[in-house]
Amino acid sequence: MFLTEKKDIKEIDEALNKYKKVGIIGCASCASVCLTGGSKEVREMEKHLKDSGKEVTFTISIDEPCDKRVLREDIRFVEDEMKNTEAVVVLSCGTGVQTIGEFIGKKTVSGTDSKYIAQTEHIGEYNALCGGCDECRLNFTGGVCTITLCPKGLLNGPCEGHNGINCEVYEDKECVFVKSYELMTKYSEEENLLKIFNPRDYGLSVKRTKI
Amino acid sequence: MRIIPQIETPVSENYINFEENLIKLIDEIKKTELSNIDTGQNLPQIIIEQNFGVNGLLLCKDLKDKYGNVNIAYAFNMRDKNRISILSDLITLKQIGIKDIIASEGLHPLKTVFNAAKPVYDLDILGLGLILKRGFMNYLEHIPGKDTQDFFNLGAVVALSSAVDGLKIKKLINIGADRFIINYTGKNLDEDIINYIKSEKKEVILLVKESYIGNSLENFIRENVNLNLDGIIIKILDEKTNVFTRQ
Repeated sequence: MFLTEKKDIKEIDEALNKYKKVGIIGCASCASVCLTGGSKEVREMEKHLKDSGKEVTFTISIDEPCDKRVLREDIRFVEDEMKNTEAVVVLSCGTGVQTIGEFIGKKTVSGTDSKYIAQTEHIGEYNALCGGCDECRLNFTGGVCTITLCPKGLLNGPCEGHNGINCEVYEDKECVFVKSYELMTKYSEEENLLKIFNPRDYGLSVKRTKI
Repeated sequence: MRIIPQIETPVSENYINFEENLIKLIDEIKKTELSNIDTGQNLPQIIIEQNFGVNGLLLCKDLKDKYGNVNIAYAFNMRDKNRISILSDLITLKQIGIKDIIASEGLHPLKTVFNAAKPVYDLDILGLGLILKRGFMNYLEHIPGKDTQDFFNLGAVVALSSAVDGLKIKKLINIGADRFIINYTGKNLDEDIINYIKSEKKEVILLVKESYIGNSLENFIRENVNLNLDGIIIKILDEKTNVFTRQ
């Protein structure tokens, strides 16, 4: 799941300042799970905008607004209302906001802050385990991502600052390289213990973007 | 065993005054009993650490020009610069004749006053070692180490708190690191790993913050003499009032 948090409502109000007729699109996938863009949050936003004197032209929750195929199908339900809409508040991650903005060709206002790919512990408690860094090294690290879980993002750690158990930066958390070592030893992955990773190729992450 | 002061480049002090005081400090160390144990002739006498302050390369160049007989090492971290900038610094160091470099990963900005700064960590010290000793990036012209792979004495700052540190040290030895600078945290050090490093004919130096030493540097040295160290680096905060000048 991609974790989002609700934006400060003042920022949304300011972005909508010059628009009167506003639509609202929620995300029934990730943003719904983390309580930022489900049907309840869409209704809350509708009430807020009406209370602020806006005319809410439509509300809709789309299963995956980041998927153009799904968006193309679902947006037809509000096709007529969209013609009469000046701006749309999108309650999804940044990918959903941009996908919708590109598709509808109207002013799109993000209602959330995008955080990270998250593991859900409980609703409201999430962990970042994967940074989507292009070249997954989990098969060589005992199955834990040192790039994401080490605050320094080291490939070949640990750094000089850990205390044998815990991280230098987050002193209440275990150093991921200590954990990685334990797991590789547990799985008898001797061949991986001495593996040296070359410096990352950041050129890969530029190639995946599209303007 | 050589005792080596390490100091960060000055923030507010004029760098010329800083250099003069540094030379005075080296002379004072020579006069103390510490000089009796100073047999690490191939080790540096002073380490200039680049953190937040005057450009350390400028200081190294100026010190070399003014006091050519002083053996200087340059310490830097992986936090502040990407590979392009680090290579640029290494080219400069090579041109001014500084061979001894000490690389650490570096304290995360969250643990400093610059807690909003974006940390770089483009390379880690093994990545740096791959460039210097194994020809990674050899597709570029003028890479330091490309034609003279052993130009730099690469000192790697490491922890010595757990088995995974021994593993990292082994990797660093495999890529050709020359020295191991053990970051002292007040805990007992793993003598087996130190002996392993020594068995690989690599130097072992302890990096100690002044605050760990207490009142007597001699006592600290005596307590750690059985570790078969090649040197102790004392990280000092001030050239004028420090554990050396209090002898």
